[in-house]
Amino acid sequence: MHKYLLAFLLLTTGAASAQSVEFSKDRFGNDKDGLKAAQKEIKQGNEFYDMDPPRYEQALGHYLAAQKFNPSNDQLNYKIGDCYLHSGFKPRALEYLQRAYQLNPDVNPRIHYLLGRGLHLNAKWDAAIAEYKRATPATGTKNTAGLVQDIQKKIRECENGRKLAAKPTRVFIDNAGPGVNSPFPEYGPVITADESVILFTSRRAGSTGGNTDPETGGFFEDVYQSTREGKDGWSAAQGLGDAINTDGHDATVGLAPDGQRLLVYVEDNGGDLQQAELRGTEWRKPQKLGSRINSKYHESSASYTPDGRSLYFVSDKEGGLGNRDIYKVEIEGRGPAQNLGSVINTQYGEEGVFLHPDGKTMYFSSEGHNSMGGYDIFKSVFENGKWSTPENLGWPINTPDDDVFFVISASGRHGYYSSFRDDGLGSKDIYQITFLGAEKPPVLSQEDQLLASRVQPVKETLLAPPVAIVAAQVTILKGVVTEEASKQPLEATIDVIDNSLNQVIASFQSNEKSGRYLVSLPSGVNYGIVVRKEGYLFHSENFDLPAGSAYAEVVKDIALKKLDVGVKVVLNNIFFDFDKATLRKESTGELERLQKLLTETPALRLEISGHTDNVGADAYNKDLSQRRAKAVVDYLVTKGVDKGRLTFAGYGDTQPVAPNTTKAGRQLNRRTEFKVTGK
Amino acid sequence: MRQTFLLSLSLLLSAATAQAQVDSVRASTLPPDQQAERLYNSGVAKFNQKSYRAALLDFDKALTARPDFAKAYYNRAAVRYELKEYQPAVQDYNQALRLDPNTFTPYFGRAQAEEALQQTEEAERDYGKAAELKPDYAPAWYYRGALRFERADYTGAKADFDAALKADAAYAYAWHDRASTQRQLNNLPAAIQDYSQALKLQPELLPALLNRAATRRRAGDLKGALQDYNDYLTRKQDNALAYTNRGAARYEQGNYKAAVEDFSKAVELDAGYAFAWNNRAAAYLKLEDYKKAEADAGKAISLNKEYAEAYLNRGHAREMLRLPDAACQDWRKAAELGLEVGLTHAANSGCGAE
Repeated sequence: MHKYLLAFLLLTTGAASAQSVEFSKDRFGNDKDGLKAAQKEIKQGNEFYDMDPPRYEQALGHYLAAQKFNPSNDQLNYKIGDCYLHSGFKPRALEYLQRAYQLNPDVNPRIHYLLGRGLHLNAKWDAAIAEYKRATPATGTKNTAGLVQDIQKKIRECENGRKLAAKPTRVFIDNAGPGVNSPFPEYGPVITADESVILFTSRRAGSTGGNTDPETGGFFEDVYQSTREGKDGWSAAQGLGDAINTDGHDATVGLAPDGQRLLVYVEDNGGDLQQAELRGTEWRKPQKLGSRINSKYHESSASYTPDGRSLYFVSDKEGGLGNRDIYKVEIEGRGPAQNLGSVINTQYGEEGVFLHPDGKTMYFSSEGHNSMGGYDIFKSVFENGKWSTPENLGWPINTPDDDVFFVISASGRHGYYSSFRDDGLGSKDIYQITFLGAEKPPVLSQEDQLLASRVQPVKETLLAPPVAIVAAQVTILKGVVTEEASKQPLEATIDVIDNSLNQVIASFQSNEKSGRYLVSLPSGVNYGIVVRKEGYLFHSENFDLPAGSAYAEVVKDIALKKLDVGVKVVLNNIFFDFDKATLRKESTGELERLQKLLTETPALRLEISGHTDNVGADAYNKDLSQRRAKAVVDYLVTKGVDKGRLTFAGYGDTQPVAPNTTKAGRQLNRRTEFKVTGK
Repeated sequence: MRQTFLLSLSLLLSAATAQAQVDSVRASTLPPDQQAERLYNSGVAKFNQKSYRAALLDFDKALTARPDFAKAYYNRAAVRYELKEYQPAVQDYNQALRLDPNTFTPYFGRAQAEEALQQTEEAERDYGKAAELKPDYAPAWYYRGALRFERADYTGAKADFDAALKADAAYAYAWHDRASTQRQLNNLPAAIQDYSQALKLQPELLPALLNRAATRRRAGDLKGALQDYNDYLTRKQDNALAYTNRGAARYEQGNYKAAVEDFSKAVELDAGYAFAWNNRAAAYLKLEDYKKAEADAGKAISLNKEYAEAYLNRGHAREMLRLPDAACQDWRKAAELGLEVGLTHAANSGCGAE
C-alpha cells in the first residue's frame, strides 16, 4: 500500500525531486517588489490562519495571491491545502497538499492526516486509507486516543465509500437555476409537498439590513421564496418580508406540506426553532415553539408530520445518544420530546431531519451509520412500531463531505439539497435530485428454430426479473376553496377523518387570500374530507386509499354553498352494504355532521334523497335509493331529530349528475344527498 | 422434410424412406382389361419424372376406367399435393380411405395436406390414426409431435417423439425436436443430451447447434453456449439469427461491446431483422450510449410497430436523454402491447396519469 501511495504521489505531482523554494531575496532578488507583496500576503494570511478559531477562508485568499508569485513553497502549499479543507471547495486541497509533500515530506507532522483527508474528499478511497494508516500514531504514544479513533472512523468511512460508490444511485442532479441560485450561497431548501413552492436561505446581496457578518464577511442570511414555473423552472426568488427576514440571520428549517407554516432557525438561546404562519400572502412574525422543543442547547433542524400535529427536531441537548440527536414531540401535547433511539441516533451527529408526507419515511443526515464521510443522508421507514435500519442514499447524492438538509417531494421523485458543484452559479447552490430508481433492465429478444421440420422460429423474450413499484404511497389532495355564488376564495377548515375510526386525524385551513389548500393522505386509510365554514353548508369528499396505493395528485376545487332553500349537498361519506340499505359504520361521522347541522339550525328542513346509476332495472333502482334515503332519515330520527323536519325520496337514475357512460360518471351518480327544503 | 409416397399395387411402402416409392404393376397379375392399371403405372412413372400435370391426367383416366381404384385416388392426391392443390388432395384421400379405410398411408397423406391447409386439428387426428395403424412408422409420431409442440402441448409432444425414436432410433429430427420439447419443459440437461444425439446422427443439422447453445445459456453454461455459437458461425456466416443469439449471450456475459459487434453483423446481413436492432439498442443502453440506443430501438419499432420490447428499451433511452414525456409514452405503449413492466416503469418514474 505504501508503494502504491508513493507511486500515486509521483504520478500526480510530476517532478519527484523538487525542493521547496523559500520567499527570500536569494531566490527572488530580481523581483523585490513582487517578493515584498507576496510576503505581505503571507503575513496577512497567517494572521487569519493563526486565529483561534482560524479563519481559513479569509486566510486562503491571501495565500493564493502569494502562491501566484511562488508556487513551490512547501509551507504555503500546506497551508493552502489546509485552508481548502476548511472551505466550501474541500477537494481542491489535495493538489496543494500533494505538492507540499513532494517539496518536503516533513513539511508538517499532520501532512499524512491531511493528505488522507484530501484523498478521502476526492473519493480516492484506497489511497486515503493508506495515508490515514500512515497518520496513525505509534502504539503507546501518549494523548492520541482521540486521533486514533478519528482515523479509524475515517478509514471505515472510506471503506463505506468504496462500497457505495461501486453501486451508484441512479439520479440526475440539476442546478435549481437562476430563479433560485445566485453567485452567493443558497442552502436549506424546503418545499411544499407538491413542489409548487420552494423556500430557502440565501446570503445574497440585498439582504435585509444590507449588513455583512463580521466573522465571515458574507451577507446575513435571509429567507427567499420561489414558485414552480413550468416543469423545470423556478420564478425569480423574492424575500419573505420583514416579518421573517430581520437584520440578523434568518434561516429556513422546515415547511408544512401545505406551505402554510414555516419553521425558522434563530440564534437565540443557543440556537432555537420558531414557527411562522402564512396569513393570506403575508407571513406572520415567527413565534417561539416552547420549552418542550427549545432548550439552552442548539436546536437546528425540524420537520412537521403530515398531520401537522407533531414535530421531529434535532437538538444537542443533554441526555442524547451522541453529539446531536433527533427527537419527536407532539406540538400541542404535554409530554416531553422523545429521543428516536439508537436505531436512528448514533454516538456521532444527526442533523437535517425531514419527514416525508407519507408520514412514515424519514430522511436525515448522520455522521454515523455507514457514512462515507461527514454527514451523509439516510432514509428510515417507520413500520410495525419501529424505525428500519437507516439506508444510505448512496453515491453521488452523498459524498465524502457533509451532505445535509435534504428534502423530498411527496411523489418521492425529486429531492432538494445544497451543494458546492462545478456547475454552480457561485458558492453553494441549491440542486434538484431526480431519482431514477433502480436500473430499468433493457429487454432482449431472440428466437430459435426449435422444430427441425419447421422454418418458423419460436420467439423468446429475455426479460430481467420484475421491477418492484417504488412510487411513494401518498395522495396529495389540493385545490381552491371558494364561495359558490361569488366565486371568491374562502378560508375554510379542512378536516381529514379516518372513516373507520370516525376520528379527525388532522385539520388544516385553506389560505385566506387564495383559498388554496393541500392535504397529504398516506395510503392505507378510508378518508373522509370535510370542508366547513361557519354560515356555509359543509362539503364532504371521500378518498379510499388502500395500503400500497401509488402516489397520486388530485386537484379538487371546492365551492361551499350558503344555507338557502333549494341548495343540494352530496354526502360522500355515507356508505351502504352492497345492494342493501344498511348503513355501514364508516358513515357515522357524516351522519353526526348532518345531525349537528340540524341541531344548530332548528328551522332547517331537509329532503334526504337516494340516487343510483343506470345499471339495473328502473323499479329496482328507485326502490333501493328510496330505502337508502329512508335509512338516513331513520338514523337521524333515532338521534332525536324531529321527524317532521325530514322527508326522503328515492330518485333511482332519474337525476344523474354525470354521464352514465363512464365508470367515474356512474360512481358520481350513485349518491346520497340532501336538499334544503326550509330554513 | 415432407414425405410423399406413391403406392404400387404389389409392394408395401418402405416407411423409412422419404422419397416417392414407385413400382410398376406386374403384367402377369393384371386382369384381362388392364387399361386402368396401365394408366396408373404410367402416372407413377410421370410422377417420378416430376411431370405432375401429365401424371394427374393419367390418374384421372385410370379412375375413369376404374372408379373404385383406391390406390389411384391416393396417388392422385399425392400429385395434387405436389401441385399445391391441397383441398382436392384431401378429397382424393377421402375417396381412398372410403375404399380402403385400414391403410395408414392415406391418413398420413391427408394429414400433410390438412397441415398445408392449416387444419391442424384434423391433421393431428390423421397423424394419430396413421400412427395407430402403423406404430412402427416413425414419421407419423414425429409429425403429430410437432403439431402438439406448436400448440404448446409439450408433454404430448414428448410422448410422440419418444414413440418416433422407439420406432426409429436413428431419426435425427426426432432427437432434435424432443430436445426442443425438453427445453420447453425445462428439462435442460435432457434437452442438451438430445440435441447432442441429433448432431451426432446428423452433423449438418446446424439448428441443433444454435438450439443447444440457447439451452446451455439457459442452464447457466454461458461458456458452452458461446462455444456452440462460435462453432455454428465458423460453419455458417450468413445467418442473422445466429449472430443475434450469440450477441445476446455476449450481452449476458457482460461483454456489451462484443454484443454490439454481433448485433451489427446481424443487421448488416438482414437490415429488416427487428430483433437485432432492438438487442443492439439494449447493448447501447448498457454502454450508456443513449442516443444510439434510442435510434436503434426506433429502427426496430419502424420495422415492427407492435414490438413491445423495443418500445420499452426506447423508453429507457429517452429517460436518460432527459425526454421524460417521450419515455413515459414508450413505456405505456410497451404495456399496451403486453409488457406490463412498462406500467411499473411509468409509475416509478413519475409519469403520472395519462
